[in-house]
Amino acid sequence: MKTCKIVSRKFHLENSHTLEVAKVHGAYNTLEKMEVYSSLEIIEIIKESNLRGKGGGGSPAGDKWVLMPQNSDNPSFLVVNCDESEPGTFKDRQIISKDPHLLIEGILITCFAIKAKHAYIYIRGEYKQFQDILQSAIDEAYKDGLLDNCDITIHRGAGAYICGEKSALLESMEGKRGHPRLKPKQKEPEWFFDHPALVNNVETIASVPFIIQNGANAYKAFGTKQSPGTLLFAMSGHVNKPGVYEAEYGTPMMEYIEYFGGGIKNAKKLKAVIPGGASSAILTAEEASTVTLDYETMRSMGSSLGTGGMIVMDEDTCMVSALKNLLEFYHEESCGQCTPCREGTGWTDKLVGKIVNKEGTKEDIDKLLDIADTMNGKTICVFAPAVATVITSFLSKFRDEFEAAL
Amino acid sequence: MSKMIDIIVDSKTYTAKEGSLLIDLLIKEKIKVPYFCYHESLGADGNCRMCMVEIEGQKRPQIACDTLIKEHMEVRSTGKNIEKIRTDILELELINHPVDCPVCDQAGECSLQEFYMDYGLHNAKVIIQDKVKHTKHVDLGSNVILDQERCVLCARCTRFTDKITGTHELGIIGRGDHARVTTMPGRKLDNPYAMNVVDLCPVGALTSKDFRFSQRVWFLQTVNSICHGCAKGCNIFIDHNKMKYQDDVIYRFRPRRNDDVNGFFMCDEGRLSYKQLQENRQETTLLNGKEITEDEAIQEAKELIQRYKDTISVVIDANLYSEEMEAILTFAKEINASVYSPLDVYVDESFKDDMLKSANRAANYKTIGILNIDTNKPKSNGLIINFNHPQEFKADSHINFFTHKCDRDDLVFPIAVFSENSGTLKNEDGIVQKCEKAVSRNIPIPTIIESLIKISL
Repeated sequence: MKTCKIVSRKFHLENSHTLEVAKVHGAYNTLEKMEVYSSLEIIEIIKESNLRGKGGGGSPAGDKWVLMPQNSDNPSFLVVNCDESEPGTFKDRQIISKDPHLLIEGILITCFAIKAKHAYIYIRGEYKQFQDILQSAIDEAYKDGLLDNCDITIHRGAGAYICGEKSALLESMEGKRGHPRLKPKQKEPEWFFDHPALVNNVETIASVPFIIQNGANAYKAFGTKQSPGTLLFAMSGHVNKPGVYEAEYGTPMMEYIEYFGGGIKNAKKLKAVIPGGASSAILTAEEASTVTLDYETMRSMGSSLGTGGMIVMDEDTCMVSALKNLLEFYHEESCGQCTPCREGTGWTDKLVGKIVNKEGTKEDIDKLLDIADTMNGKTICVFAPAVATVITSFLSKFRDEFEAAL
Repeated sequence: MSKMIDIIVDSKTYTAKEGSLLIDLLIKEKIKVPYFCYHESLGADGNCRMCMVEIEGQKRPQIACDTLIKEHMEVRSTGKNIEKIRTDILELELINHPVDCPVCDQAGECSLQEFYMDYGLHNAKVIIQDKVKHTKHVDLGSNVILDQERCVLCARCTRFTDKITGTHELGIIGRGDHARVTTMPGRKLDNPYAMNVVDLCPVGALTSKDFRFSQRVWFLQTVNSICHGCAKGCNIFIDHNKMKYQDDVIYRFRPRRNDDVNGFFMCDEGRLSYKQLQENRQETTLLNGKEITEDEAIQEAKELIQRYKDTISVVIDANLYSEEMEAILTFAKEINASVYSPLDVYVDESFKDDMLKSANRAANYKTIGILNIDTNKPKSNGLIINFNHPQEFKADSHINFFTHKCDRDDLVFPIAVFSENSGTLKNEDGIVQKCEKAVSRNIPIPTIIESLIKISL
């Protein structure tokens, strides 16, 4: 296993969140590069590195950066998405609590590249203690004069999963309900109070200093050709050492689970893995043994790498209960804007509840698939399609368990 | 300027503006497309997902309300696939709906009912006990009652208060299937256009406290008319019904779309002005407060006109139809009377706003000017013949033609109100608009023209 520490380099240090420790270990050295490179050159390096968004979608970050206007009187904004709410995902909070200065450094470079003078960090409401660490780091940075030309403001969310969706996040920041917006008809930036805005995940921004410091090729030395670099993969569930461990893309999943996670708990057999946060299709043990952790392989398996937060399930896991658990979450978190999602999440939750209570019928299983079909691809955002994928993957891969529960 | 282009919908070619909304074309061409959230005055919101169509070259079905018309576009609005999608989404829309149509005031003009007949016709798969429960009776204020269970969360009402009135009283709270419309804490729905949300609501969630339970809508007859509340001339529907053994009654005014005048809306005051048309009406001929027969009254009028020859003034209400004004002018000429219509009395600056309400509270004052009628007060006179003008003027004697009871001496003839007669009005922007006759009373009250004919003969 190749060790790679791009984002997690300072995580193990004592008081790594303080400016003093961070500076001793090289924080803010990249800022010199802002004298060397122009903003367009920085965007070019990011494009060249093929840095992919680490919030779940995995689309190339540079493609979004180039949409930001370089010569405009209209102010631009950077919005850092720290609404980490995907079940099974807890990587961004490591960054903001263990190395917040890396994020601030990334923000400064990104703002320089997109000509923004103000960055917002949208943080989920439940992350109060991590927010405090991040805020103290920002305060230190202000005192040190690092933020003389660029402001950073933390905006605390009220705890809605959907506000991790970038347009819902912006609605929420504008003081409205966190409802995703209709997709634009052409390529354009996001809009924050009618000003162009770039929304990126915490880890994406935290990866920027390394790339600018060491060049695109140094970043591409990690990972696969199409998924270069590393990700803070997270692991939870039935493993011996759950946690967040940085690894390069393309690492075989089982190798990762064995090496970092110390294998399955109590020497049980693996039954299934949800690979990238709850909203990706579940993989059986057999499938998990063949996959590598990169966007392309996961897509070819009909799943997705998502946030890289793996949920590992051993042989004793009841798949019906597991699905019920997930659907309760989606039922609670659907924003309620689009009909298929608003009503579909509730209905599927109730139907699986029936099956858990041994009151289900075969028609209920068919109806579940039917509702999943209606939820897929017919809504404003990808929440409902994700739920549909979860339902269909559970039902197609573990159908016998569901039928046995009737 | 965007150009006009041809697009194909269901194998037929239509011409439309490039970049305009596909749903607008479908609505205009009467191509069947179900929708709850879209409204031409509020724009696309894309939440109900009912208006799905297939577009050639697109992998997934698209919502017509968020699709811009492009060159060479080929759209399918029918077919097994698209109908199944609409059926499935409608089924989801209905799983938590209480299906209380028998006691719902919207029944008969409910989009859910219509679409169910078009696309649904499925059996209920969720029993009533398992449905999500909400509050069934919320008095939002301004005569609007909310039933949260019937709501399809199309957000038309909240968008109305956000985008049209800018008053922001309504909002949606809660998430998922617990989301519901309500007012902001401690606030009531309170703006002069509030009752438009009842028309906007596609289902029975928002109903009018004024109208609810008074009539089943399928019994109502509808005619086109114009509101007489001010000089704006908002286009309206008059919904009326004559129940067996009873008189013809107006149950409500509803705004009628006219993009040149009022758009889609009308003010609440105008909407509720129908009541005043059927209250406290002058129904009989009076002389000094005593009922007399019509023949006696005509005789008396003729005598008065003869007696005060050459000292007669005629006063005209600026709410009368143009045809009535012209007839009065002809009559005045015959009896050699001078004609006045003082307009000051109609001006009410406190009523005016920058949406639809005009400070000129006379529906046809424009015609007064066109007919060169003197807008000064009548000079001291022998006889004043008053055609429903609200002011009283000093004279030796009066002949009054009144729609409503008015505590005055002298001779009084009853006349029909605008809803009992047809005619035209010219609004403050100079647009000539026609009102149809709505109400036929069991005992008709004569119109001004009918009365004039009798007196002239």
